[in-house]
Amino acid sequence: MTSPTAQLREQEAAPRGTSSHPVRGINHMAFPTFDPAGTIHFYRDVLGLPVVQTMQVKAWGPEYQRDFVHFFFDIGNADCLAFFYYFGQEPYHDENVPPLLDLGRHVALHVDTVEDLDGFQKRIEDAGLKLDMRVMHETVESIYVRDPNGILIEIARPLRELAAADAVDAEVTAQALLDVVASDGEPTLDALWARKAELIASRVPA
Amino acid sequence: MTTLYFLDAAEFTDVSAVAAAQPGARVERLPGYVAVTADGPLIVDRRATGVRHSVWYSALAAVGHGRVVQYDKDALKVEPTP
Repeated sequence: MTSPTAQLREQEAAPRGTSSHPVRGINHMAFPTFDPAGTIHFYRDVLGLPVVQTMQVKAWGPEYQRDFVHFFFDIGNADCLAFFYYFGQEPYHDENVPPLLDLGRHVALHVDTVEDLDGFQKRIEDAGLKLDMRVMHETVESIYVRDPNGILIEIARPLRELAAADAVDAEVTAQALLDVVASDGEPTLDALWARKAELIASRVPA
Repeated sequence: MTTLYFLDAAEFTDVSAVAAAQPGARVERLPGYVAVTADGPLIVDRRATGVRHSVWYSALAAVGHGRVVQYDKDALKVEPTP
């Protein structure tokens, strides 16, 4: 297959967390909530993540805007998970999200050790909440729980440090994916595997 | 001639080792990958690898000149393509 996209940017491949760009993590990611009491209880009291910033705002701007409270939970590294509670807003829940897409949309928090992970599992279970699952993935071990808003929260601890090989493979895979989705054929995993093999072979000095 | 590529990472070592143990298989270490090549089909028995499911189903990084005809809880089988 002829690559319709750019050459592999191998020179930019760097292990996760070592890139030279100026972004320093997540300032905050925000979700609406219709259950502020449950949300504060879950994050602050069950998980132990303090509320570190709030703002109460009189509606202004577009006519659909409402008075709201915006509150932020500390999730480490100066990052925050934030929620909006809009006064008077009718609750909305999308009941039609396919299960696969529902699982694919989640927030993963990082902890360093298995003891940390065990500690969060205990906090969740001691609160009478059900752990969705505990899974040994490829490079992380994770627990999953639903927050009161239905957001799937993953807490993950690393099983090993990521290395240069991971970053190289990420670049190769991304390029192969770009090529596969740009090709005329149906994008499939088989096509991705084949394209990756071509890219890997092209990187090896003859 | 079919080549299976595995990421050169600790969790995939047992998978590439089982693949490489087949008669006629040749192993080459490339930057970031372990490449296992054979003239005929390549078959990897999942239970022989001893790896957990999450690792098993993400072990295959790339396939050169081959077609995956089986990739399930029992085995990975790749046949050469013309």
